Amino acid sequence: MKSLEKQKRIFIFLSLVIPMALLVGFVVFPAFDLFRMSFTDWDGYSATWNFIRLDNYISMFHNENLWQSLKNNAVYFFGHLLFIPIELMFAVLLTSKLRAAKFYKTMVFMPYIINGVAISYAFSYFFSPINGAFDAILSAVHLEALIHNWLSDPKLVNFVLTAVSLWRFSGYHVILFMAALQSLPQDVQEAAQVDGADSWQLFKYIQIPSIMLMVDFVLFDNIRGALQVFDIPYVMTSGGPGYASSTFTLYTIDTAFKYSNFGLASTMAVAIMVMIVVIYVVQDKIIHGLVLRRDKE
Amino acid sequence: MKKSTLLQAVKQLVCIAMVLVVLAPILLTLFAAFKTKADMVNTSPLLLPPFGRITLENFQKVLGDKYLMVGFKNTGAILIVSIFFNVMFGTITAFILERFEFRLKPVILALFFLGMLIPSFVTEIARFKIINGLGLYNTLGAPIVIYVASDLMQLYIYRQFISTIPRSLDESALLDGCSYFGLFVRIILPLLAPATATVIIIKAITIINDMYIPYLYMPKNKLRTLTTFLMNFANAQQGSWQKLAAGIIVIMLPTIVIYVFFQKYILAGVAAGAVKE
Repeated sequence: MKSLEKQKRIFIFLSLVIPMALLVGFVVFPAFDLFRMSFTDWDGYSATWNFIRLDNYISMFHNENLWQSLKNNAVYFFGHLLFIPIELMFAVLLTSKLRAAKFYKTMVFMPYIINGVAISYAFSYFFSPINGAFDAILSAVHLEALIHNWLSDPKLVNFVLTAVSLWRFSGYHVILFMAALQSLPQDVQEAAQVDGADSWQLFKYIQIPSIMLMVDFVLFDNIRGALQVFDIPYVMTSGGPGYASSTFTLYTIDTAFKYSNFGLASTMAVAIMVMIVVIYVVQDKIIHGLVLRRDKE
Repeated sequence: MKKSTLLQAVKQLVCIAMVLVVLAPILLTLFAAFKTKADMVNTSPLLLPPFGRITLENFQKVLGDKYLMVGFKNTGAILIVSIFFNVMFGTITAFILERFEFRLKPVILALFFLGMLIPSFVTEIARFKIINGLGLYNTLGAPIVIYVASDLMQLYIYRQFISTIPRSLDESALLDGCSYFGLFVRIILPLLAPATATVIIIKAITIINDMYIPYLYMPKNKLRTLTTFLMNFANAQQGSWQKLAAGIIVIMLPTIVIYVFFQKYILAGVAAGAVKE
């Protein structure tokens, strides 16, 4: 018996040692290293650096372009937040009795699996000011008055990129909501229908409560996703014109790899991590509090 | 009866509108890829050129680019090696975490959870130094080691799957004198095949589509992947949308093809990752 216990221990150790070493070495350690680097002025290549206390944090809080970028992130967040009801509607629609539902399900998720760089270029073409397709669509329906420089007007560009993000990621949420809806036992829904519940009551009293956990996940995914928007603005506008479509992650990456200020960039990276963790904890308390209260009633 | 027919019609209309929105940017890019430079101006962006003027020269230009093959080869190599290790480490880690109790387990679970929560892009600022220090900069080793170490979604899929395998199976195998390793390799691993199919396909799509890691760690021309090939190709075609359009279509195709053929596995795995714990 003792040897079996020993055999078990050896097996656990041998199985986990490499995955754990990789995780610690390439994920956990770098994350902690960001904290240390955030107190230095390291430039990314010199052998030496200075310890500069909170200077990076002070300059981060006074950086207007960074605040502008964070505001841009907020637009992505609210855009995706407003889309949750639409995504829910499509999830309900595609799980209901519907001809060609399978084809529509394939289509709704397709943007999510398409190469992000390729689709960003495709949208650059779509919105391009010369022979762009979007302007052609507007002309075709006699809305020429609405034609703008979609990607170079500082007032508009970030909203256009948010629309691209909605195009790309909404289908993912639809599929998640569909999975949650399909995990509902069918007999509960049928019983409710027999008792005379209409589809709105079915949605409100049976489907919504049971997908609250998935809504919770999608909300968190929205926040995390919105804070980390990177490749759409990077490919389509490089954050421009000026900082009109810059995002927090894009600004952070540029600070490190373009302007060689690894110390300051680490400080921003720490800020992103702190934001994600704080939101995670707060949201967990609020949403779970709500769900639990409803269960008690 | 009449009401439900109307409802069906409205549902169909909404769905068709969705399909149009999804397909529009892709189809319009495809149209552009078939146009000559003159037709980019002469025909509407919403239409194909007249049949006789459809040209394949843009596609020839992309397919004739010697770096496209380089991109295919590198992406393929990264895929095979990363996915092999992802499956190997993913299955065994999930097996241990699902089936065994040991003192360090809470610590290990916490570390994996932390690994999921840590935002990937900004971590590169600190990871860059480590990759450089190991001499992996400008080698295929950089993306491989990062994908294997940091992309952890397979753990959810495997853990969920293993929890559906009855424990009595483990016990009877051990009673029959099977070692723990034998139990894992001969009994558990084969049962995980459907989950592995999901993992392979989702990982393949993620890796093919990833831009940032190859872009950051492998600036060398010989180390182009499909995605960084497109970025270079785009920079070289300044303003020549029809050529770039052909490049976009060529680079989109591999994942679309994978998706169309294996969507069952993809849709099965996507929802499995949606757990906050």
